[in-house]
Parts: sequence; structure tokens; C-alpha cells
Amino acid sequence: MIPSDSSQKEDEAPIKAKRSKPEEEEEEKEEDVVFHPVKLSRSDLYRPPSAEELNQLKEAESLFHCSLLKMQMEELLKEVALSERRKQRIDSFILTVTELLQAVPESPEVEVSDLSWLSGAVKVPFLLVPKATKGKFHMAPPASVDLIGSYPLGTCTKPRIMVDLAVTIPADVLHPKDVVNQRYPRKRALYLAGMAEYLASSSDIGTMRYSCLHGNRLRPVLLLTPPGKDSSSFTVCVHVCPPPGFFKPNRFHPQRNNIRTEWYTGLQSSLGEPPTPHYNSSVLGDLLPRAHLQFLSAVSSQCSAFADGVALLKVWLRQRELDQGTGCFSGFLASMLLAYLLTTHRISNTMTAYQLLRNSLNFLASTDLTVNPSLAEFHSAFQVVFVDPSGHLNMCADMTACTYKQLQHEASVSMQFWDNPTVDGFHSLLMTPKPMIRTSDHVFQLCELVKLQSSCKKLNLLSELMDHSGNYVHTALPFILSLLQRGLGQRIHLLTHSLSPAPEWSVESDAPKHKAQPPLSFGLLLRPELAASALERGPPADSPKAAEFRQLWGSRSELRRFQDGAITEAVLWDGESMCQKQLVPKQIITHLLQLYVLHFIGIVPSTGEEESLLVVQSYDDLSRKLWRLEGLPLSITAVQGAHPALRYTQVFPPVPLKLDYSFFDREKTSRSLVPKENKPCPAYITPITVICHMEGSGKWPHDRLAIRHIRAAFNIRLGELLKKHHNYTCRSCPTHLDVWKDGLVFRIQVAYHREPQVLRESVNAEGLLVVRDNEEAQALEMETIHKPLLTSTLHGLQQQHPCFGAVCRLAKRWLGAQLFSDDITEDTADLLVASLFLQPAPFTPPGESLPVMFIATPKDKTLSMWTKRAPSVQMLQRVVMLAAESLKVLEHQLMDGSQIQDVRVVMRPPLDAYDVLIHLYPKQVPLLSQAVDPPAVTFSRGVMTSGVALSGGVMPVIDYNPVSLYLAELQEAFGDLALFFCDPYGGTVIAVLWKPKAFIPVPFKTSQVSARRVEVTGEEANTFPNVEAILEDFRVMGKDMVKSVEARTEKWSF
Amino acid sequence: MAPSKKKHASSQPCIIPGGFTVLPLQFSSDSVAQHSLYVKEHRVRAERSSHRPLDRTLFVLNIPPYCSEDVVKDLFSQFGCVESVELRDHPGTFWESGPRLSKVFKPVAKQGFKVGYIVFQNSSSITAAKSHPHDVPLVVCTEQRPVRTGVQKWIQQYRQSFINPDKLQQIVDSFMTDYDKRKEEDAERQRKEIEQQQEDEEGWVKVTRGPKGTKARPHSEAANKRTLHKEFRKKKRKELMNFYTWQHRNTQKEHIAELRKKFEEDKQRIALLRAQRKFRPY
Repeated sequence: MIPSDSSQKEDEAPIKAKRSKPEEEEEEKEEDVVFHPVKLSRSDLYRPPSAEELNQLKEAESLFHCSLLKMQMEELLKEVALSERRKQRIDSFILTVTELLQAVPESPEVEVSDLSWLSGAVKVPFLLVPKATKGKFHMAPPASVDLIGSYPLGTCTKPRIMVDLAVTIPADVLHPKDVVNQRYPRKRALYLAGMAEYLASSSDIGTMRYSCLHGNRLRPVLLLTPPGKDSSSFTVCVHVCPPPGFFKPNRFHPQRNNIRTEWYTGLQSSLGEPPTPHYNSSVLGDLLPRAHLQFLSAVSSQCSAFADGVALLKVWLRQRELDQGTGCFSGFLASMLLAYLLTTHRISNTMTAYQLLRNSLNFLASTDLTVNPSLAEFHSAFQVVFVDPSGHLNMCADMTACTYKQLQHEASVSMQFWDNPTVDGFHSLLMTPKPMIRTSDHVFQLCELVKLQSSCKKLNLLSELMDHSGNYVHTALPFILSLLQRGLGQRIHLLTHSLSPAPEWSVESDAPKHKAQPPLSFGLLLRPELAASALERGPPADSPKAAEFRQLWGSRSELRRFQDGAITEAVLWDGESMCQKQLVPKQIITHLLQLYVLHFIGIVPSTGEEESLLVVQSYDDLSRKLWRLEGLPLSITAVQGAHPALRYTQVFPPVPLKLDYSFFDREKTSRSLVPKENKPCPAYITPITVICHMEGSGKWPHDRLAIRHIRAAFNIRLGELLKKHHNYTCRSCPTHLDVWKDGLVFRIQVAYHREPQVLRESVNAEGLLVVRDNEEAQALEMETIHKPLLTSTLHGLQQQHPCFGAVCRLAKRWLGAQLFSDDITEDTADLLVASLFLQPAPFTPPGESLPVMFIATPKDKTLSMWTKRAPSVQMLQRVVMLAAESLKVLEHQLMDGSQIQDVRVVMRPPLDAYDVLIHLYPKQVPLLSQAVDPPAVTFSRGVMTSGVALSGGVMPVIDYNPVSLYLAELQEAFGDLALFFCDPYGGTVIAVLWKPKAFIPVPFKTSQVSARRVEVTGEEANTFPNVEAILEDFRVMGKDMVKSVEARTEKWSF
Repeated sequence: MAPSKKKHASSQPCIIPGGFTVLPLQFSSDSVAQHSLYVKEHRVRAERSSHRPLDRTLFVLNIPPYCSEDVVKDLFSQFGCVESVELRDHPGTFWESGPRLSKVFKPVAKQGFKVGYIVFQNSSSITAAKSHPHDVPLVVCTEQRPVRTGVQKWIQQYRQSFINPDKLQQIVDSFMTDYDKRKEEDAERQRKEIEQQQEDEEGWVKVTRGPKGTKARPHSEAANKRTLHKEFRKKKRKELMNFYTWQHRNTQKEHIAELRKKFEEDKQRIALLRAQRKFRPY
């Protein structure tokens, strides 16, 4: 109910660290825990049911998707509930503190501005601006000390346990007129300081710090922790309150003024006093906590599931980072919301915690608290209004409309996927953290908040500044938000901002200044279809709105005439390429916030759309030409692309090349180029796979070998025709046909739809036709059916979500750089990303490429054909681990504006885990320029930089990559002894990991002697891997390419 | 690596339990490390293949990937004239099936460590190989016989991957004529069999043993299954499921049992998740 503070977070850390160890151990053990199916005996299953059992079963059946969700929630509640032991410790500490507080000594009466009675050791937790106030103050023992808030209500949850203690100032310290000009808040702060000074001498208190309630500087609190090892287990938060009913509530009406302009600014006000609603509500908030507690306990006693419902709602809020900081939706608000729904009979007292959560989310999603005509007085002063039972206090006084909209958005998204049976509702609802950086498409930060002070002046916000007691950040924030909202308009779904955390400081230091708070972060959730449009079309030039438009955009606004004849105001942003267009929102924001110094978080610019588009265009042309070919014995029924470049997900899309013929040798008979031995490896040309389905016909033979030959014949014929009609250079092979076109190479594979079936059929000894699945048939189906299908499906997805391709490419680049591309194939990675887009709960589909590192969530590996071969469990674990690590680094970097933005940090793989490193000559690595850190030296690779790529001419060197050839050879020769890893995008290191199993000595067997040596002991002969010879082989097999072989571990020396 | 066993005097062959002789092999004369080939005369009871005559065939294990058949033939020529060399991924019986394939249509061979069957012209060569001293290594790459590896080899491979379309067409054509011929022969044979089963002029049918004659049985496994399934469905349709009171009661009982079972399963799953601490939200 009371905000938790950042220092508490720091305190949490050591506990977590301590816990993490046993956790890890447990997790290791868990792998042994296997899920055994239940075995209920027959008599158990079929015994007559009792009425209670029937009810329970029925409830589980009708209320929840399954009883699993219900049980999961129960378990979650157990995790967050306080243990009895902890409650006892809290109770005893509260008793000690209460006794201590009762014994605060009296002090002589002094002026409020006289601080001499305080010894220097303890400072007053208040920014004394302006310095002087009238009034007298003296210390006296409190009138009463009571527990308030979540702890007595039973809604207190782990972690960050906060117990609230209200200390009532005796009536004789206060004066009824103290409401005016911050006199009461100052006396309150003095009283708190007096108590802190007294408590400082006691040994029963662990640590003592100041903070303020939800970041409100008028309401400082004192945080106490118990001494000794319990110090981090809970925090007691001491509030100071006036005696109940001491001030009249109607003095705090939002239209009333309680801070005089003359006192605050020193100038006579000419216009009458402005209302001070925020000041009023913060004083009123001190007056009511006891009444609120009474109200809530009354409600709670009526509804048995109240505490559980509040706990669930708190967990939900916390996962979305909405429960702390200035203007948050705190736990107190959560309980008030539930109580409101209960008292208005929107929900009934007999409902379960699950239903309470559901109904409150439904209420949030459907009710807009930012408008309510019956509360016009409140709405004129506050953006969000939620009035307490007394009718005087707006509990959402500090909340911005944006925060509430975010809350609504989250609630409606949650409601959407809750009912979706394909999503794990429980996890996405309550278990997955959803911080801003992973939620938003764009994030930017406002640093140097001190400059907001001058912008308050610029925007003429003096009276608001007075109302906020000088907190210029919170004064200016709503105005910045509305400015951005107007400027971005239809481009965004949602604008969110970070809630500044409540400051916390030691009792010995002065209260921190307003500028000391961390930078404000803003998040945008884009509408992908509108976000990137370069034109902002305004109202017609003669309409009255035009002036407003001009004022908003300033000098950027111009009169423009459009094709439909309209002449309107418009703003045109720079946006020639896709990459630039994606940064239009950035241009808008920077333009609008020119007044302020702004730190904009760079978004990974995703270029490459244009290259992919070029490839797709060239492919479309080829496919058309294939269709029109005449003179083939059978007609073509389908032409399908089966390459990542054709679905915009190739990491580095193929670029049309023009070749320098002198760089190559010639193969005379077939008019082709061949790499020269003494030159660097030529540029790598990716063949783009195209599947060409042929018509089924009785002419096709029903025999696997014959089909293979017929396909070869088709390849030859196709090649001849393409050469004749379009003058393309072709090269026919038995398995495929390479076509050199527009500086790109297409690899056409002829497919016959019945071939997999033929491969599966065989005739057994009895003459019966048997159909048996086999690997050959599966591989063929994968090539000719599944891959083209995947390609066209994902191509469709790209049309729906324009940034899908970019995300895939980034994800694959990361996987490649972390040496995983062998384990998680391209198709698998694409599918993973696709699943992220199609099943985004709890996130909305990303409109931008930031949350890319999220892909590495473990997935089921049981039946999917794409992941049958790889990854193995160990590799997947490593991927998950590295992904989590990378995500942490990346988020940290993005949120910390002072660091240099370098995404490449997460692309550099840790190499210390590997046993052998094979370093390659960069000269022989054709894709060197795609490396994460490309070297300074570049090699000529036989490519001309100028000139347009043409079709025809000599066949270039296709698909010749010594690195992958070398890797394949190593894999085939030593695959059962070691694992080989390499970054396919210009990696110059091959990392080798010995398989531990291979190094266990085995008895001599003819089937298991590859690369092993024999050791004879007596009559037994055992074999070991012959490591020295293997390392020599690494060098021999990679002659002219391997620079050095570095053995890093001595694992083999027994 | 200890290629030499100290207890043996030099120029003695090294024989390990199992009867294999260890022949050291190194890539070139300046190599620092050696592989060991394990050789033994080929002796398998079951095999009666003309390709591997028992008395003249040497069985070699652990041949490194850079040794092609030609290289191996050359290496072992020092023990006597080599008739043929066969390299395989795994030891096993000689097996050849299907029509002869041109090189370009053969599946690509694995480039790993191999086992070899070397057939000498004389059986005395086997003894010579088996008594080869263990401290004189065989050298793969010499000046007379350079063996290409690495970049050189890959470029050569690339160069050899070209095939003239005309030549390819020739191969295809010859295979297909061959195939058509086989097809025709098959058809001819079948026609004859069918002819045999037809009534002759006097109304006699010749009944033969063998699989081809049985007409009533379906010819494929799938058809078999289909028939069975059809009959099962027919049977099922005739049954009434919810007619008698006891049947109704049974359905209800089954339903509750089903719910109970699910409940119990969920409970176990939760227990498992709890053990994994899957419920701590933060």
C-alpha cells in the first residue's frame, strides 16, 4: 500500500544473491525429476463422489480453463504471502519502535524556521523554499502510534515488505491555520526529524533513512529497518499525521487556495489566488489513512477472497512496473479499487480471488477515469480522478493521463489473451515481467532535468509550480506529454513514461534537489502502418485550425498543394529510405522538444529492406520467364522461392555483383570462372534457391533413380531454353540448375510432387507394397514442399508486420555471432521470431526491432520438424543463458544514456569455454566484411565497384566458401569427437569443443577406432583420441587457410 | 602420443591384442604427429564374395580423410602389387545393388576416417604388410606423390564439379534406355504370367504357387489397413451406446473418473513446478 523505495531494491539484491545458489543446485537436480503420469487405482477413480468433491470438480471445470490455472494462482499466492515467522518478527519490532516513539522527550517551543534545537547530526527532510514561515514548533511525545496500510489489512506481500506506522502529532504542536503556506508540512517534517534524532541513539534500530511517499516532497517518511541480520527482511515506514479531524476537509477542495502567491513568490498577485489542488490533496492524504483502513477492513471482512485478490492485482501491477514511483497505481489504490467494486456491487462478496482479478482488470479496461462529467470540479484540477469514500480526496492526484491509458492498455491486452486457450495465460498474466524497454517500440530519455525549470517559465506554469511546491519535473511532465501526444497523433497507439522513483536519502544529509532524480524515459508504441509516413497533412489553409497547426509545428509547417487539389498546411519529414522513415517519430520528437536538451536512444537502424526488395523483384522476373518458357516436355505448375532472401529474412541480402574477370582462372569447356590459388578467396555468391514444380504425368517413371535422371534432363533443357530466349548464363548439374541473372545467382531445383512418395514405397518379400517413412523422403519434402511454404507464409507475415524481416535478421546475426547458427538453423530462428509476432502475449506485436533478443525462449522440441535435428538440450540451455545475459547488457546500455550505444557488445561471443581455437587467414574468409568487428584491411575479391550488374557473360564462382567447406570436412571427420562452432558471417575463428564422452577410454573395437590410438595394458587394448594427430590434421585439412591452431586446455592429457 | 612401444626391439612389427598390426602413418615427412593404421588379413566366415578373396585381402582401419583410394593403393604398393582398393565408412559385407550409376549421380561420399579392403595380387603381400616395422611410418604426401588438401583441394573440387551438358545428357540418355529396357523385360514377364493363368481353349486354368496369382488380396499395406478400418467402423455403427440405464450410468461414472484423473494430474504438475520454484513472480 505504501510505496516501496529504491534502496529497498538494493537491499533485495544480496538476498537474491544468497538464494540463487541453492536454486541453481536445485535446478540441476530437477532434471532428474521427471513427470510421471498419475496412477490412480481403479477403486479411487470409480468410488462414489461426495457432494463437496463434485462441487470442487465442477468449479474447476466451469470457472477456469482447467484446474491447473486455479492451482497455479494458489501457488503464486503462497509465494507472495508473509510467513508466520516473519509476521512475529515484524510484530515484535513494531512493539519496540512504538515504545521508543512514545518516549520522545519534550523540547522548548521555538519558531518554525529556527532549527537550532536539532543537533547537526540529523537534517530536516524538506526543501525549505521559500525559507521563512510563521508559526511555533516544539517536540512532544506522539498522541498515538498506530499501524495503518497493508500490514494490518493482511494485503502485505513479498518482496519489499513495507509496514506502515502512523504517528499522530499532538494537537498542541499544530494550529488550525497551519494548512496555509506549507506550515503544516514543515512542522510534519520537523517532527519527523525530531523523532529521527531521538531514534538515532537507540540500538534497537538497524538503519534509518528518509524517503517520501510516492515521491511527494511534502510528505516525507522515515524508513526503519530492524538491527542485525533481519535488516533486509522488512522495512517500517513511519508517517506523521495530524490528529483525526484536526483540519476541516472542505478547506481542501480542489478549487481552494492554500498557498499565497505573495508568500511563495514575494510578489503581489494581481489576478487573485490560483487554486492549489495538488497541495491540498497531499495534506488531505495525511488526514485520512485511519478512515481508509477502517473502510477497507470493513470491506475485507465481508469478502473472504479480498486479500488474495489484492495480492494478485499487486503482482500484476508490479510485473508491469506500474506500482511504484510518482503517480503510480499503488497497492493502496488496488485495494481501494477492489473495495469500490465490492461496495458498488459490481462484484459479489462470494467471488474467488481469480474472479476479483478478472473483474478489476475488466473494470480498468472498460472505464475511463480521465473523464467523468459528474466530477467536473475534480477533473478541472486533475487528469485522473478516483475519489475516496469520504468524497474529498482524489487518490489519483499525481497520476498522468498517459499512465492511466497505459494501465488501461495493459488491462485490455491481459483480458484478450486470458481467454486464449493457446497462450499460457498464467505466465503472461502474472509471471512475465514487462519493463518499458521491452514493451515499447521506441524509447527516449530526457536527461538534465534541471532545464525543465526554465521550460516551466517558458510555458507559463508559475501557479502550477507553486501548487507542486516547486517540483518542476512533475509540473512540466503533463505538458510535455500532451505536446508529444498532439505531435505524434495517429502514429502511435500509446505514449508511456517512466514513473520517477521516490528518492531515498540518509538522515544525516539534506533532502536531494529536484534535479537529482534519474532521467525520465518515454516509451512509444507505434502504429506500424502510420508511424513511418513522412508527411504530416494538416488542416486546409483557410480553416481556423490551421493557425493551431502552424503554432504546433512552427517553422516546419508549410503550405502545400496536393494531387486532389487541396491546399493544406503540411509538414514533410526526411524519409527517403525505409531506414530513415523509421526515424520519423524521432524527428518529430526532437523537433517538438527543441527547447530541451534531449538524449535520444538510437534505434538500431535496420537497413537492407531495399536490397531484399531488389532480390525479390529479380526473382519475380525469373519466375515469370520460367512460366512462359515453351518447348519443355512437361509444363511448369508452380515456381516457389525457398530462400530466406525471398522472405526478407536473409541477414545480409545478396547484392548484385559485377565481376573483374582478370581475378579468376577460366574453365574453358564450360565457360566458367574458377578461383585462383594464390589470390584471396573470391567474393561469396549465394545461390538463391527456387523450386520449380513440374506437372505430374504418366511419363514420369516410378523409380527413384530414374526420376533423378529425368530431373537432370530437365535441368539441361531448362538451361538451354533460358540461354536461347533470354541469354542467361546457366550451369546445369545433375541436382540443380544455376542461373546467373542481374548479378545474382538463382539455383533452380526441379521437383516432382510424387517423388517423396516413390522414395517411401518399397516392395517387400511377399510382393506387398509397403510405405515406410525414411530420412531421404523427409529431406526431399523439406526441400520442395515445406521450405517454399514457409517462405511464402513468412513473406505474408512480412507484409503484415513490416519490421518482421529486420527482427529476424538481427536475431540471426546474434545467433551467428554467438556461434549458434549450426544449432538453431535459419528456418528455426525465423519461426521463433514469427511466433513472437503471432503470439505476443503479454506484449503487443513489436513495431520496431528492439525486443529482438527475446527470441531465445525455450520451446517444445517434441514434434516440430524444423528442430528435430538441433538444437540439443545443452545447446538450448546455453543459448537461453547467453540470450538472458545479452538482454541484460542491451537493456542496461539502452537505459543508461551515458554509455556509448554499441549493440555489438552482445555480438561478441565468449571464447573461453572452448578447448581449441582454429584461427583462419582473413584472406580466405569471403564474408569477412560482414564480421561484427570488420578488420581494417580489406582484400580485393574480384568484384568491380562501379558499373551495373548484367546477365549473361561468363559463369561466376558460385557457392564457393572455403570456410564452410572446411567446417563440413571437420564435422565429417571428427564429428563424434568434437563440436565445431563458427560465425558464418565473417568469423575468422573456429571454436572447437571436445565431447567429454569421446575421451573415456574404450576397448578396441573395429567400429570405433577413427582418429584414435591404442594403448596396451596386459591383454587389454584401449583406445583414446589421438589428439596430437588430430590437431595436425586440423592444419593439414585446412592448408593455406588455417593460420594457427591454438590448444587452450589440456583436457586430453590424462 | 607414444607411437613406439619400448619393450619391442626396433624394426619389429607392433601387434596389439585382437591380431591387428599397427602401421604408423604421417601426412608428410616433416609432420610431428602420427596416426596409426590397424591392419589384419580379411577373414569373415559368412562372406563368399569374389570382390574380397579371403587369402589376398587386407583389412585396414582408421584411414585419414585425406587418403583417397589412389593414395592408399600407392601407399600399399610397397608390400606388393595391389589389385584393388575399396574404402568404406564402416566395416561390413560387400553390397552392391541396382543398376550401375555414373559418378555424377552417386551420392556424395562422407569425408571421414575410413576402413579399407585392399586386395593384393599375391597373398604374400599380406604377410609383408603385417610385418612392417612400427617405427617406419608411411608417408602420405611426398614429392613424387603430392596430395592436395585445403584451399588447393577445394579449388580442384570446384573445377571438377563442372560437367558438360552434352555429356550429362548422354549419361541420362544411356541410363534411361537401360531403364526402359528393364521395364520392358518386366512387363514382358508379367504378361507371360498373366497369360499362363488365362483359360486355354479347353477351359483349363493353370494354377501356380507364388505371390502373383492371388487376386483377392490387396496389393499394398495401406489398402489392407483401409479394409480393416472400414469393417471396424461398420461394426461400431451398429452398436447403441446410450440406450440402457446401466450404459448411461457408466458414462457418468467415466466422466467423473476423467475429471478426477485430470485434477490429480494437474496437482502433480503443480507439485513439480513448485519443486522447480516456478511460482516466484519476481
